[in-house]
Amino acid sequence: MIDLVLAFDLILMTTLISLAWLLLASRDLFRAVVLFIAFGLLLALAWTRLGAVDVALAEAAIGAGITGTLLLVGLGKLGSAERCRRTPRPTTFLQRLTPAVLIGIIIPSVTIILLLELRQLQIVSSGQQGLVLSLLDISGTDHPVTAVLLNFRAWDTLLEKGVLLLALVSIWSLDQARPLFHQEAPSPVLKGLSQLYLPILVIVSGALLWQGGYAPGGAFQAGALLSAGILLAILGGRSLLPAWYGMPLRLLAGCGLLIFILIAAATLLAGNLPLQYPQELAGALILLIEIVATVSIAVILAAAVAGGHPAEISATEQQQPPSSEGTS
Amino acid sequence: MTEILLGQHWFFWMTLVPLGAAVVAFLIPQQARWIGLATALLLPFFALAAIAATLTAEVQPITGGGWPTPLGIELRRDGLALVMLTVTAVVGFIISCYALGYFPARGHHSSRARYFWPLWLFLWGSCNALFVSGDLFNLYVTLELVTLASVSLIALEGGKAALTAALRYLFIGLFGSLAYLLGVGIFYGAYATVDLALLGDIITGTSLDHAAMALMVAGLVLKSALFPLHFWLPQAHAMAPAPVSAVLSALVIKCSYVILLRLWFEVFVSLDTVAVGHLLGLLGSVAIIWGSLLALRQERLKLLIAYSTVAQIGYLFLVFPLARNETMATAWVGGVLLMMTHACGKAAMFMVAGTIHHTAGSDRISRLAGAGGPIGVLVVVFTLAATTIIGLPPSGGFFSKWLFINAALVTGQWWYLPIILSGTLLAAGYVAKVLGWAFLDVKRSSYPVIPWVMKWPPLVLSVIALLFGLIAYEPVQIALLGAPVSGPIFMEAGP
Repeated sequence: MIDLVLAFDLILMTTLISLAWLLLASRDLFRAVVLFIAFGLLLALAWTRLGAVDVALAEAAIGAGITGTLLLVGLGKLGSAERCRRTPRPTTFLQRLTPAVLIGIIIPSVTIILLLELRQLQIVSSGQQGLVLSLLDISGTDHPVTAVLLNFRAWDTLLEKGVLLLALVSIWSLDQARPLFHQEAPSPVLKGLSQLYLPILVIVSGALLWQGGYAPGGAFQAGALLSAGILLAILGGRSLLPAWYGMPLRLLAGCGLLIFILIAAATLLAGNLPLQYPQELAGALILLIEIVATVSIAVILAAAVAGGHPAEISATEQQQPPSSEGTS
Repeated sequence: MTEILLGQHWFFWMTLVPLGAAVVAFLIPQQARWIGLATALLLPFFALAAIAATLTAEVQPITGGGWPTPLGIELRRDGLALVMLTVTAVVGFIISCYALGYFPARGHHSSRARYFWPLWLFLWGSCNALFVSGDLFNLYVTLELVTLASVSLIALEGGKAALTAALRYLFIGLFGSLAYLLGVGIFYGAYATVDLALLGDIITGTSLDHAAMALMVAGLVLKSALFPLHFWLPQAHAMAPAPVSAVLSALVIKCSYVILLRLWFEVFVSLDTVAVGHLLGLLGSVAIIWGSLLALRQERLKLLIAYSTVAQIGYLFLVFPLARNETMATAWVGGVLLMMTHACGKAAMFMVAGTIHHTAGSDRISRLAGAGGPIGVLVVVFTLAATTIIGLPPSGGFFSKWLFINAALVTGQWWYLPIILSGTLLAAGYVAKVLGWAFLDVKRSSYPVIPWVMKWPPLVLSVIALLFGLIAYEPVQIALLGAPVSGPIFMEAGP
């Protein structure tokens, strides 16, 4: 039995490494993206083998799913530009030497030294598990990972929500969104599929969110699923009402971070340490943060795939009378 | 009333307020400039309150959520955090004023202004979060926030060159962060904690620890742009919009350096760091000479200033070889002083360069010919700011170099003397080159009108940088609160 498990792990590891090599070496970008998605799914499997089911869920949903979609959409936009490659610039000797030295000498030697050193690593196998479990019953949740993410190390999670929103602001600052798909009407199959799957995805993501209270799950995984639902709906030919493109969309994207900041400010104003929840409110606050974050993450991820700020935003706001800006 | 004010966690508010303002500025883009300005007005007062609170009461370390340290995230309220927050608040305020003029509300660039404010407020909040963090993983998260916001700010300039520079900066930043994160992972695997103070106590100095140290130092050095890993800096800093260049050179570079400073003097203490220190000192010395020489050769003002930053980063890394047992405090204080004064001086220089670009239509140094007349005030502001870069008394740059020289003499590392002196001469050379063009007797016909916020605020920073040496005592005393170094500060050592 042990041998079977060991054999499985070995096969998984070799497949992962060879997939990584194949996708890096691939000259065809489309092939590389497909390999990347396969790599993400197998990596999720590896995380479950390590007992980290939460990470596995996040890896499958975000690492393989959303990132894969982003890469495919990006590839679609690259389209013609990729085909007419520029001729490479003439390079100096030093510029030609650098990649060779990097790939040929520095990276392999660093890897080998690290691997040799890592053999000495005696991992403190339990990590902080004992401490987390001993404080679990006053944390407001029954799942250790959720307790760490939203209570013990909530400050990290607040900043990570910041990273997500910042990523969206960055994408919006670069360009205006263009329609993802050129065909006039989506195929009836897609339409039917999206009608079938959308409710299921919403329900499952709700379940995942609720499950975060006592088992692997939570806002990130639920948000990723929900954004898959949104993308499916877009594929099925639905679109947001133009009236929603402005403030409502921004509010949906920003509310996850905003509510977290407001709670942190409230704890400070109440005279507590930053993000020190009152014990009897901890469960409710964590649930509130998780629910809002799920919606926010779903909107941010879906908007990231759309790539660029919504078109109507500038059109409607430039038409506004300059009453608000008249003072400037 | 005063008790309520002093009891507040000002350190924490200084992160929360900019981040919250960033979200609000994103939500209400029409009012983004005023939200940004209001935040910029508030933060210097918060910094003052934080200083007052720290000086009047014994400051205990706190953690996020109040959980005990291996579990919770330690938030530092020490002198280093305090001075960096204050410098960021002052420089950030001036840069915000300048940006009001640089990104006008109307005109064909108004969409850039819309996104400048949320991105800049995000960056400000993340820098502040980084300065107060005492947790290896939390530092990683803040570092990522800082990198992402900087990349987007560079890309705001638009155009192929700026986008290329931004993308390269993104890759470099990610590579550096990943090397750092790998080191954090090794430390967590070996010691089951990512808390700086705990890790400093229990670290044993195995060869694995040294491997982790090498990874983290390499990652942070790449992000701090020490020679020869500076290759990405000149393009990134010179291509960005002027207020962004000022932010990048004055503040963002210092972020990874602050982390390195904390790690070096708190976590790596029991490791064998002498050889690494000498290596960093050597690279720093080459950076001083190489950066200054290249600055001397530049034809464009912003590139000249960017290469001058490369040289100044070299000085910052002299701290590591110079901080031996007895000179620990001297070198550390020298480094911190240099960070503060360089932040003021370099921000002013980049802003002036932006205004000159705006006025003369190009930032080619040759186009400066005759600028000494009508826009002479800008050249004066530039020169005042440059005194600290050269290291003339009574600027802060002079005092930090003086401390470095003393530390070098006390530890018998005399070879840093000629490096520091020739760096000073070269810096004087490239500043003189700019001035030489500016005071040429050339008649110029017309100048566009410059908004006053692009003209006068940089002067404040120039004056601070120039006079910093005279008021350096108090900032140094504040910086030394809870500092990991102790010992005399050598001011007049003989060989």
